[in-house]
Parts: sequence; C-alpha cells; structure tokens
Amino acid sequence: MSTPLDPYRDILGVEVTPERLEENLAAFDDIRREIEKLRQLDLTEVHPAIVFEPTAPYRKGGAR
Amino acid sequence: MTQPLWAQPIELLAPKLKTGKLSPVALTQACLDRIAQVDGKLQSFIHVSSTALEQARTAEREIRAGTWRGPLHGIPVAVKDNYLTRDMPTTAGTVAPDISFPLRDSAAAARLRKAGAVLIGKTRTHEFAWGNVTPPVRNPWDFSRVPSGSSGGSGAALAAGLCTAALGSDTGGSIRMPASVTNTVGLKATFGRVSRDGVVPHSWSLDHAGPLARTVADAAHMLNVLAGYDAADPACQAQPTPDYTKALRKPIKGLRLGVCRNHFFERNQEDVERAVEQAISDLAAQGASVHDFKVPLLEYGLGAIFAIELASSTAYHDVSLRAGRTPHYQPDVRSLVEIGRFVTGPDYLKAEQYRAVLMEEFRKVFDNVDVILGPTTPITAWKIGEWTVDVGGKQESVLAASWRFTYPYNLTGLPAISVPCGFDRAGLPIGLQIAARPFDETMLLRVAHAYEREHEWKDRLPNI
Repeated sequence: MSTPLDPYRDILGVEVTPERLEENLAAFDDIRREIEKLRQLDLTEVHPAIVFEPTAPYRKGGAR
Repeated sequence: MTQPLWAQPIELLAPKLKTGKLSPVALTQACLDRIAQVDGKLQSFIHVSSTALEQARTAEREIRAGTWRGPLHGIPVAVKDNYLTRDMPTTAGTVAPDISFPLRDSAAAARLRKAGAVLIGKTRTHEFAWGNVTPPVRNPWDFSRVPSGSSGGSGAALAAGLCTAALGSDTGGSIRMPASVTNTVGLKATFGRVSRDGVVPHSWSLDHAGPLARTVADAAHMLNVLAGYDAADPACQAQPTPDYTKALRKPIKGLRLGVCRNHFFERNQEDVERAVEQAISDLAAQGASVHDFKVPLLEYGLGAIFAIELASSTAYHDVSLRAGRTPHYQPDVRSLVEIGRFVTGPDYLKAEQYRAVLMEEFRKVFDNVDVILGPTTPITAWKIGEWTVDVGGKQESVLAASWRFTYPYNLTGLPAISVPCGFDRAGLPIGLQIAARPFDETMLLRVAHAYEREHEWKDRLPNI
C-alpha cells in the first residue's frame, strides 16, 4: 500500500521542520482569516485582473 | 531665512545650477558632509558612491559648456538598494549567502543619469522590500522611532537632508508610508507609468517604482524623468508623458474632492484624523466641492493583497527556499516567504478576480469625483521594536494598521501621492494621501500642490 500524501510537504511543497511548520501556521492565522473572508465572495462571472498577452515576447527589446 | 543647501528643493536649486550661481560639486559636497555628520546614527545609506563628486564635476563641466540637461542636472539623488546600478552594489537588503545582483543600471537609474543627476548612494530597504520598518534605519524626527518601509532609507535620508530626492519602490505603500512618517512627498504613479526594469521583484503585479521628494514640484520633476514606456518592463504602458510641472499652479476651484468614509476613516489616531479632516476643509476652501462615498468591497482587500503578495514573493524566492537559504533571511521576511506556500492557486486567482471588481468600483467613483483624499497611514511613526499600537482606542498590530490606506491603490494600480499635512502632539509628521484616475498624475500633482502651497509643513526640518 502506498504512503498517504503529506498535505504540507507533498501538496503545498512546504519543506520545513515540524516546529517551524507550527510557527508558520501560527503566523499565517490572521492572514488565513482575511483570505477566508475573500473566499466567501461569489465572483464566478468575473474575469481575473490578469491578461494573457501572446504578443509580449515580440515587444521585448524595443526602444526605451 | 535661507535654508542650507542640503535642505533646499530641486525647484530652488535647479535655476541656480543652470545659471552657474551654484556648483553641483558644492551641492553634492554639502550632502556628503551631511551624510558624514548624521548617517552614523541615522543608518539610511548602505552604500555611498565613491564617484559622487566625479559625477558632480562632470555635471559642472557640462553646464558651464552650455549643455544643461534639465532640472535634475547636478542634483544628488539617492537610490533605494533594490534598484540595480552599474557602479554601486545592490543587495536588496539581504545578507543571505549565494544571492547576488548584477552591476547594471535599472531603467530608472539610467534615466536619472541621462538627466544629469548625481547618484549619490544606495539607501537601505527592508529586506527584499518586504516589511514596514527598514532596520536599522531610524526616523530623523525621533531616533527612537521607525522611518516605516520598505523605502525607509530613502525617506529618512531625504528628510535629514542627505540627498535632494530619492527613489523608492511601492508594493503595498512602501513609498508613501515612509514619506508620510518623515514629512516628505512620496509618489506612486499609475501601474505601468514608470519602468521597473532592474528593480528586484517583490510582487510583479503590485510593484511600482517612483520618487520621494522634498516638495510636490520636485516629485513632478522626478516623474518627468522617470515616466515613459519601456519594453523591458512587461507592465509598462505607452501612454503620453506630459510635463508634470505644467498644471501645478492651476487653481482647483470647481474640482470634486472624493472622501471614502468607510475603510479610510473607520479607525485612525486622533491627531491623524484631525489633520486630514483639516486638510480636506482647507482644499474645499479653495473652491473645490467635497463628495463623501463608500466602497464596502474594501473590506475584502487585505485578504486579496496578502494572497497576491505572498504567492508572488514565494514564487520569486522559490529557488532560495529549495536551496535552504531562507533561514539566513531576517526572521519576519523568512516567515512571510515561507508562509506564501499556504496560499493556494484558487486563492490567488480569487484575489485577482476581486481586484477586477475593485478596479471597477473605483472607476464608478471617478465618474463623480476628480481625486480621492484620505490619510496615508492611520498612525504616525511608531517606536522601534513596537509591534502593536493604539489606533483609535484599540490596540492593533502595526503590520495590519500601517498599510491599510495605501494597499488599495496597489490593488487598483491607481496613482497616489502622500503630502505632508501636519504633526501630531508628539511632533511626528502626518501624511495626506491623494489618489486619481489611471495616468492622471497631472491632476494628482495639481491638487497636492494646491494644498502644499497654502501650508508651511514642507519647510519644517527635523532637529538633528
């Protein structure tokens, strides 16, 4: 039977000691609350403020 | 009374430099003397240029020969230590091993050199432009207090007269907060207005490059040089670049001043609120109308900026994380870089969706107003080592409080400026923040100048 995935190490890529992980989780707590509030918003129909621009590489090297 | 050379603004110095009444060498030497005199205690510079006087002599020769490059010719400008420079090392405030940056000019440094400025040295930044205190820099108004950050070195150096103008960078308020707590002017232009090529990235879609200056007119002179398209910065926009000094003296009669009554006025230190309300009244007295409004969506802003900033910063530092370098970072920065892993992909994109809605909300606000006024920070400079402060009768972490009013304009990319608007009962500076429509820096500077010219805050100097 395969070993179950570790959610921090294998999924989030967190590679710190267990003690350090505890410290970081405590430090993240206030931020997590704010992000949790954001998650409550229904923004299904909103395009994120990110625009993929395939022409960008062709602009590089242009005059400054 | 004539102020010493090191305290004078570009707008006074430039005509004297142009006509030969003042030598760039004398001006640069005055700043170098000032650095030697006070920076041992202030700690605002991490590197002082060994070629500053040589640069000044070159400027002097050129001006004498009739080649005046413009108002920045011969002006000593300090460069935040996260801008690459060809002749001075860049550390981005870190001493972590195996991290180095190339000796080449950032776009901003190149533009300043082309304008004839003397790049006098590199000012300290909070490590990797994370954070809001900039150790070990002290605030020249009270050495026991922070100059805020992350451009705290630039704010402190400018306020103390160690340079005539400075470069800062602003991801959540890092130009405007140090300006607010040091009685200087800090300008974050529209996202895409000033190239960030050669600025060590912190959070790609939030980072802005820009100036700290002694006066609003000086900020306009700096922006005249810094603004413009640069293909090397993917976010830079090819927008027209007006002469930002042109409209400074235009009256503001008839303009509509917006005041966002939620978020920006819910919890401030008493003296901050009093000074900013007075500033709004003073501007209204010049014939502008005041329009109160609310943007309830701002309630979700802190989660959004944390999601974007943490995820971006952790992505940038991913190689260092994997190589085990982060234990060498400062403890606060190490934590922030490590906890960015807890922000999920959906959280990040939700924040970007939120951002689109917030931008639209502000667009609607600008249907009815020309600028938005409010405090730059809810608090004045706090004590070094103090992590919570009293804000409106409630203890609050400085991390949460200090950038509350600045980060909305990083999320929206709108131009915003901090202008001195008074002092609290302890003698600490207070900043008025003004924001405008995208790429309408002319309006921003016009209103800021209208306030500044009716007051004498800019003429006050710290007693060092």
